[in-house]
Amino acid sequence: MSSATAPSSSGPKIRWPLLIAGLLVIALMMALLGGAFGRQVKELSTEMEGKPFRQFTTVDFDGNKVSLQQVIDSGKPVVLNFWSTWCGPCKIEHDHFQHAARMYPEVAFYGVLYQDKVPVAQRYLAQKGAAYPTLVDESGAIAITYGVGGVPETFFIDRAGTIIHKENGPMHMGMLQPLLEQLKASAP
Amino acid sequence: MFGGGPVSTLGGVLVLLSLLFATVGCGLGFFAGYRKDPQLYRWAQSAAYGFSASMIGANLLMVYALINHDFSVRYVAEVGSRSTPLYFTIVSLWASLNGSILFWGGILGIYTAGVTWHLGNKHREYAPYVLHVQLGIAIFFAFLVASIANPFAPVFPVPPDGPGPNPLLQNHWLMAVHPPMLYLGYVGMSVPFSMICASLLAGRLEAGWMAPVRRWMLIPWSFLSVGIVLGGWWSYAVLGWGGAWAWDPVENASFHPWLTGTAFVHSAMVLERRGRLRDWTLLLGMSTFLLTLVGTFMTRSGVFNSVHSFTQSDIGPVFLVFIGITLTYSLLLLTFRAHKLDEAAALTDARLGAKAKKSTSVFSRETAILIQNGLFGAFTFTVLIGTLWPLIVEAVEGRRISVGEPYFDKWALPIGLGIVFMMGVGPMLPWGRQNADKALKRALPAAAFGILVAGGFAAAGFQGPISVLTLFVTGFAFWANANEILDPARKRMSTHSEGLGTALRKVLLRGRRRFGGHVAHYGVLMAVFALALTKGYRVEQDFPVEKGQTVQFQGFDIRFDGAEMVQEPHRSALVSTFEVSKDGSLIGTKVPRMNFYKTQREPIYTPDVHSRPWGDLYFSIISVPGDGSSAVVRLIWQPFQVWLWLSAPMVFLGTLICLWPERRRASASSAASAPAAAGQVAPGSAK
Repeated sequence: MSSATAPSSSGPKIRWPLLIAGLLVIALMMALLGGAFGRQVKELSTEMEGKPFRQFTTVDFDGNKVSLQQVIDSGKPVVLNFWSTWCGPCKIEHDHFQHAARMYPEVAFYGVLYQDKVPVAQRYLAQKGAAYPTLVDESGAIAITYGVGGVPETFFIDRAGTIIHKENGPMHMGMLQPLLEQLKASAP
Repeated sequence: MFGGGPVSTLGGVLVLLSLLFATVGCGLGFFAGYRKDPQLYRWAQSAAYGFSASMIGANLLMVYALINHDFSVRYVAEVGSRSTPLYFTIVSLWASLNGSILFWGGILGIYTAGVTWHLGNKHREYAPYVLHVQLGIAIFFAFLVASIANPFAPVFPVPPDGPGPNPLLQNHWLMAVHPPMLYLGYVGMSVPFSMICASLLAGRLEAGWMAPVRRWMLIPWSFLSVGIVLGGWWSYAVLGWGGAWAWDPVENASFHPWLTGTAFVHSAMVLERRGRLRDWTLLLGMSTFLLTLVGTFMTRSGVFNSVHSFTQSDIGPVFLVFIGITLTYSLLLLTFRAHKLDEAAALTDARLGAKAKKSTSVFSRETAILIQNGLFGAFTFTVLIGTLWPLIVEAVEGRRISVGEPYFDKWALPIGLGIVFMMGVGPMLPWGRQNADKALKRALPAAAFGILVAGGFAAAGFQGPISVLTLFVTGFAFWANANEILDPARKRMSTHSEGLGTALRKVLLRGRRRFGGHVAHYGVLMAVFALALTKGYRVEQDFPVEKGQTVQFQGFDIRFDGAEMVQEPHRSALVSTFEVSKDGSLIGTKVPRMNFYKTQREPIYTPDVHSRPWGDLYFSIISVPGDGSSAVVRLIWQPFQVWLWLSAPMVFLGTLICLWPERRRASASSAASAPAAAGQVAPGSAK
């Protein structure tokens, strides 16, 4: 099948624009995927563990002022759960957290809304129930302070104000219970 | 690699043999095609069978080692356990990474043998190149199994027992079926890829070649469809949140090739019958395989945060290199060889007397498929961008973000509705020409049926604007597809004076491919129907219950009969029992449980479902504090959920009907006979 015998071909022999564009796309894709190695999604920054809590002051959905320092000073351990309504795993863990909060009234639970709109989250909570307040973090300052990389992430702060555990990803009762017992037993 | 027990040694030999066969066969295939040498082709065929036999043999050997608890083999020591039931022992072949790559190789072996046998001595211009590309892919997997992912490596000292497979795998039978279905889908896409590459290498593409390419795409496509639905079912039945799909990166990874594959099976028809959309169709077919590779990379590299990434490993970089090579190879073929196809087409046209371009009106099936393809392309692009966006933002701005459901839902809804609408429009229109009046006349009853469906469900309380619209479009497409079967049967009844049964049977037998397509469409419509009625209408409530207490939920009376610890060989379980009655009569006992595995600290929650066509009553245990005399249970009412799962067998059945061999025709080439056969049943096209 030699091309000499063929009638005039309807396209150019080598499709240079396609070749160049294609090579560019391949190079970009390789760089993107290759550069992502070592993202270590699972072992994500647990470096906050063992460190003292970081102070912030903000308001909850009802406009009540919340200062973490004051909560710790009152002798209560704290669970800080970063979540958003667009996050599937957050919805999975939602009821477990509600239930845990009811079971452990001596622990102060706070949700922190992450990159989401307050009215949307309010509607969600009105439907799904809210056993504890969710805090507003419109500028993302609290998330940055705590090095939050995505949602859900949960911080467990004992009575002395030390972050004893950070969990990346959804949690259920079986995981929550031992940590909450530990918080409950901690000394101020 | 050698040394250790006999299984390690034999396994090592088989894996090396498969690598050898793949390498030699890949070279032989190319030269057999290039030099048109029948002897070389026979050798290439033998090499392909050799690869398949040694890879499948290696898989069987691993199953043998697993069953016999041969802990001197590394993989068995990693996932085997004497307490695991036989069934789970066998399926643990794909429980962990190295085994799943071996299994992957085995499936590649099955497909390679299948396509080698199918091609036989037919399509001699293409067949050697098919083996060349197919075995080129095989080299990579054989290399992986032989090197970094070698499951046969010996273990010394030999441990007395192993930890058993991942608890999630043992927790539900679906987990035994869902991964192989996906693998059958993913790996099988290599065959149409090889066939398309072969066409470019050979520099020709006849309609008679597109038919087998399309068939070989349909096989893995149907497995992928089933695999995706099973994955959703697993997530629904095991994860306890009553949801099936969360736009998780790994879920998306399986969705990309499904979208391009679906677009391909439609555009390939346009290419086969009308000679149009050639480059686009080839690109789709190649992308489908490339996207399965990207999907595998997403699952295995640990680069994406996902519920599925429990199988991270160091094969990521090697896999990425393979993706790079395959992408570049495909691109070079497309850019350097596509002009050969133009020349070949021009030659054929000249031989046939350079027919005037076939005219096509706006109201034709090819236009409908073109629009449908555009929608599928846009769908793939938006999901792919959404999946990769966190990586892009992190690379450019160093900031971490996640792309959530709102993004995906926002795009999926309009594009999905558009696709379902076209699913009704497409079958209504014949190939070639149709005037607007006639098209409209066919559309009106379908639209009326759509309104009826949407209105009916709205009267039953499903009144959200999105579900009303979705139901309308679903009803429209349902009628359009049904009419394509009933209308020709009606015509037969009057012209041949046959009964409805005979006419239907004859219509179906004559147009099997069309009929299969309609059945597959029904499968997809069932899924859309379920999505329209489950999203936004689910009711859920948590109940703290005491033993003997009855609660009312959605018209059901549900009594809690306590929870107790049950010992099973491979796990222990806290089983809660609920008696479900309606209007005073007992209709079932449901036992949601918490399963405890030795290797895992936290229990795995396993819900239980009372399933009926009009809705599911879903039980999920939130907690069982104390001695089992009280519990907190979450009850979910999920209307019409079961139709989502039923869509999978329907799509599978449709594909099977399409694939069922037509009665052999006298002519050697199916190219001429296929459109003619369809022409007999295509209403309107005869004129």
